[in-house]
Amino acid sequence: MSGPVVTFDKVWKKFRRGERHDSLRDLIPNLARRAFAKPALAELEDQEFWAVKEVSFEVNRGEAVGIIGPNGAGKSTALKLLTRILRPNRGACAVRGRVGALIEVAAGFHPDLTGRENIALQGAIMGMRKQQIADRFDEIVEFSGVSAFIDTQVKRYSSGMQARLGFSVAAHMDPDVLIVDEVLSVGDMSFQAKCLDRMRQQIASGVTVVFVSHNLHAVANLCSRCIVLGGGQLLFDGRPEEGLSVYMRASQTFSARHGTQSRLRVQAATLRRIDGAAASTMPPHTSCELRVVFECLEDTPPASVGIELERTRDLFYCYGSAAEDLGHPLTPFRKGQTYEYVARFRAHLARGHYRLNVNVRDSRAGLFYMFAESVADFSIVEDESYDGVVDIELDVCYDAVVEGRRA
Amino acid sequence: MTALANDIREMLHEQVEYRELLTQMTKRDLLLRYKQTIMGFGWAVFMPLVNTAVFSVIFTRVAPIDTGVPYPLFAFCGLLIWNFSASSLRFAVNSLTSNTNLVTKVYFPREIFPFSAMIVCLVDFAVGSIVLVALMGYYRVIPGATIVFLPVVLLVQVAFTASLSLLLAMANLFFRDVKYLFEVVITVWMFATSVLYPVEILGGRLGVLALLNPMTAIIDAYRAVLFYGRSPFDPPFLLAAAISCLSLLVSWVTFHRAEFKFAENA
Repeated sequence: MSGPVVTFDKVWKKFRRGERHDSLRDLIPNLARRAFAKPALAELEDQEFWAVKEVSFEVNRGEAVGIIGPNGAGKSTALKLLTRILRPNRGACAVRGRVGALIEVAAGFHPDLTGRENIALQGAIMGMRKQQIADRFDEIVEFSGVSAFIDTQVKRYSSGMQARLGFSVAAHMDPDVLIVDEVLSVGDMSFQAKCLDRMRQQIASGVTVVFVSHNLHAVANLCSRCIVLGGGQLLFDGRPEEGLSVYMRASQTFSARHGTQSRLRVQAATLRRIDGAAASTMPPHTSCELRVVFECLEDTPPASVGIELERTRDLFYCYGSAAEDLGHPLTPFRKGQTYEYVARFRAHLARGHYRLNVNVRDSRAGLFYMFAESVADFSIVEDESYDGVVDIELDVCYDAVVEGRRA
Repeated sequence: MTALANDIREMLHEQVEYRELLTQMTKRDLLLRYKQTIMGFGWAVFMPLVNTAVFSVIFTRVAPIDTGVPYPLFAFCGLLIWNFSASSLRFAVNSLTSNTNLVTKVYFPREIFPFSAMIVCLVDFAVGSIVLVALMGYYRVIPGATIVFLPVVLLVQVAFTASLSLLLAMANLFFRDVKYLFEVVITVWMFATSVLYPVEILGGRLGVLALLNPMTAIIDAYRAVLFYGRSPFDPPFLLAAAISCLSLLVSWVTFHRAEFKFAENA
């Protein structure tokens, strides 16, 4: 088979906001309104909105694509379009070959049936053949780790056990295209690791994977390509590392930290190396300087400016400090004034992509007057291979030890 | 026309592709009934038997009527056939709305829900038929050669029931009042059908109306081949057969075309 396996061609999908009317009582006024109303000029009726707006992409055979985006970006809608649960209003989407969907893996389970009976049912719901289910039954049970309870009614299972059994069925269906939605949040750590392993195996064996997740770590690890959706539109399609920073910028507009008052606003932020060179990529231990210019929109009581460093792929909080912690007094900010904040630091960081957040806060009162996410981001690149967040400049030597004495 | 042909091809293709799911869903419902109730399939026989006993008292002692065969046999046969359709429809009405987690999360042809509900009722029908055969033996009523047409009559009933099942399942998904309306209609409908008495008794305009009712034609056809040794192919039955086939086609295609809206409305 040649050509793309998954095609999304200028897909539009709209939904209705607010309560849905589903009684006959509402039908009559609705029909009356439709009969007497002028034909709608716009394609969007009252209360309707586009959940997906002209999104186009293709996925080729054997590719592993991650779809990320903030809440409301249209990810779930895109998945439902791919799995044929929804149909686009405009445009076309198609998936060639057998589709396996790891979405709500325990959706078909019936609480009164046993694990064994539910495997057969869930398998059939996912489109597996009877023979295929029978052949792989032992593997499914083994993988789920609930073999001791396989003849127990599923309602006696814990929710984790149900999810594990559901995932096991789905993981053994051998599809051409695997569509995955956030299922990695099921089960404990060891089961999640098992799931990731299983997906990695499937990717390695040539299965095309479309993977929707908020787990940026998993996307960065599993996928060779990354699609970023925001507000229903395609914002980015390309390498995962770049996609993640696009995602960061997109989520900025959508997320506001709880209790944050926006009394100040960042106007410009630049990150450079101390020697003035660009700091988008640099080796570990480089000295850098972050300059942030912000204006004060409203008079602000005494506060201090803080900085946070996060690893982009999983938002791991690496470092955080405020000026007051360094002995600077709290200062009030006056409306209309522009302030410049300069922070110098050395990036003792391991390989990866990082971002900086800047805030203005009064820690004692627990108030944030400004919170600006991702004012700057950079990549640390090094040749040696080590894992983690911090570069501790490890130096190792070892000799053979004989009978408690160094030889 | 090609669009219609395409839809029909797609519908049938999907049913073939997902045939194992239909079996599994049916098995699920049968298993559940067996597990959740003490009498299991006994209920399939118990209810029509109780009703038969009650109506036998009414129509042999209070208001005797002539039915050609012993009244209990007449009534049990009518109730059994009627119950197959009525309970199929009763399950079908809720079949999509009670499975919203599946409807909104996983794709497969949605017809599976009302169809599997109907097959479960067909199993009940088969179980009840054993009692019917026993009753016929007891009253020494032997079917004639026209019994060979029994499958045709059953097929017409299945087509008619399936078409209404699809419509009701779909209608209740969009308008949740439908299930209440359904309960009213099904009660009135039973007394407008030759279940417990031949509707000819009604006479007048009401009687003519009752004869146009496809369910009456179907039940009469069953009795014709089971009890009276007559051919089922009289004009009312042929009309019912035509209506059944046409309405199955229309409702299935409608269902198939509306299917993609189900997830949004469930």
